[in-house]
Amino acid sequence: MKITRLFEQGVFVVTSEVGPIKGAVSRDKTIHPTCAREAMFLQHNVHAVNVTDNQSAVMRLGSLAASVLLKDKGIESVYQLTCRDRNRIALQSDLLTAYSLGIDNVLLLTGDHIQLGDHKEAKPVFDLDSVQLLHMAMGLRNGYDITGHPIENPPDMAYGAVVNPNFDPIELQLIKMRKKVDAGAEFFQTQAVYDEAVFDRFIDKAAVMGRPIQLGVVVLKSPQMGKYMNQNVSGIMVPQSWIDEIGSVDKADRKKKAAEMTGRLVRKLKDRVQGVHIMPLGWTDVVPDILAHAGIEVKRLAFAA
Amino acid sequence: MHATIQKPIEEIVDHIDPKEKVFVVGCYNCAWKCHSGGPEETEAMAGRLIARGVQVVGYATPGPQGMSLCKLDNTRKVLKEDYSEQTRQADAFLVLACGQGIHTVIDATDGSMVHPGCDTIFGGETVSATDIEEFCSLCGECVIEGTGGLCPMTLCSKQLLNGPCGGAENGHCEVDTEKPCGWILIYERLKKLGRIDLLDPYRKPKNHAKWSRPRRLRVGPDEATFVSLAGKHTVNNRN
Repeated sequence: MKITRLFEQGVFVVTSEVGPIKGAVSRDKTIHPTCAREAMFLQHNVHAVNVTDNQSAVMRLGSLAASVLLKDKGIESVYQLTCRDRNRIALQSDLLTAYSLGIDNVLLLTGDHIQLGDHKEAKPVFDLDSVQLLHMAMGLRNGYDITGHPIENPPDMAYGAVVNPNFDPIELQLIKMRKKVDAGAEFFQTQAVYDEAVFDRFIDKAAVMGRPIQLGVVVLKSPQMGKYMNQNVSGIMVPQSWIDEIGSVDKADRKKKAAEMTGRLVRKLKDRVQGVHIMPLGWTDVVPDILAHAGIEVKRLAFAA
Repeated sequence: MHATIQKPIEEIVDHIDPKEKVFVVGCYNCAWKCHSGGPEETEAMAGRLIARGVQVVGYATPGPQGMSLCKLDNTRKVLKEDYSEQTRQADAFLVLACGQGIHTVIDATDGSMVHPGCDTIFGGETVSATDIEEFCSLCGECVIEGTGGLCPMTLCSKQLLNGPCGGAENGHCEVDTEKPCGWILIYERLKKLGRIDLLDPYRKPKNHAKWSRPRRLRVGPDEATFVSLAGKHTVNNRN
């Protein structure tokens, strides 16, 4: 089901995320890859699950294969597709393939640079940028490839995009967001937000663009992770107060604490967005707890998808 | 200019056959400015090779000062006429220049064996006597009208045309905390010029056929023709 239908019905849309395994899916169907096991915790607690595309430029199982795997298990997926590793032929072909395999939701991104990952000597592609990718996806929906050639049975999926409220100067990020809206982006998920001030300077200007926005949150598991993210993860700043708070409890109590902290932030900001995107980095089991702390009940559509 | 950096001497020596007689050629323009192949480095290279047992039959940096090795007629005259005796003895040419200069030596010597003495690293601006920086990627289709003259194909690590990715932090690119985000540079420049509006229009995907290799330019006093896989593109220079 396209998650845009939920937004249209005024449903507060809850998504979470899993990263495909570094390896292949076993032929033995009784062996579930880690990403599928993680997704099982989410199945009845969120509307859809993002499947990342070689996240942080670390080579893994393809996001399309993992997205289809989740669909087969009855979990709605949001297939992430980046410009980093594919030229315009591969991007279009993958979109056609995704639709053909039953995918309904796609998140279109630039992708982290290869220098951030585990194959630093690879050739970065970036044939298109994320705005051009959105344009191209809309073209396919309208029946034409990027060169203008008609295609058979155009794919119709929900197309989302990403925006980073942490970006400074924010005006420059908002110009790009506007271009994504004009290109056809139907919903937005934000990069991880920890700081209310960061959210405040962003949300009103973003909201007037008229597309649903899901607040992005990354579960902070430990003070070490906060420091690591500040040093190594691009575009995210974890405030010292968060690092101190998660460090204030014993390791055994950190899942509980992380759920409380993340839920508290979401509760404060949820009325100003149309959904939340929770990135648990493997801790999918804390997602129900986060939603409870945030006071969010995951509503289904009144009618069947 | 074409920025070059010398290959490590061990690598250069390793590529030369002990039986080979070598003539060393430098470039009096770009490689001279890079201290990778001017007259001093060329002479020094001859000495360094001899000290390592290489048979050097001569060396030259075709001048005058400022002359590019890639100007074929000049290089041919110098190597075939001015240094004819030494170059006739040579089995191979060690060239301290960019890849264009190396090919010029092939043409100037009717197809002789060549050894590259440098890595050609980029086309750059000579910002000072000690700094050469890259501002152009030679992509064949300039997009800098909309960016205040700063090239996103070069200054943005992902070559994005419609604005920055979300990865910059403290003004720096996600690939390197020392490197400024190209799109923030563009933004700040346009802001200073009062032309932020230039960022608004959608920029279409590039025609990468213009970036095909090899490309060719035919020039004349009235018109020029650029030949790539995108086709022949002729422009009148006068009307």
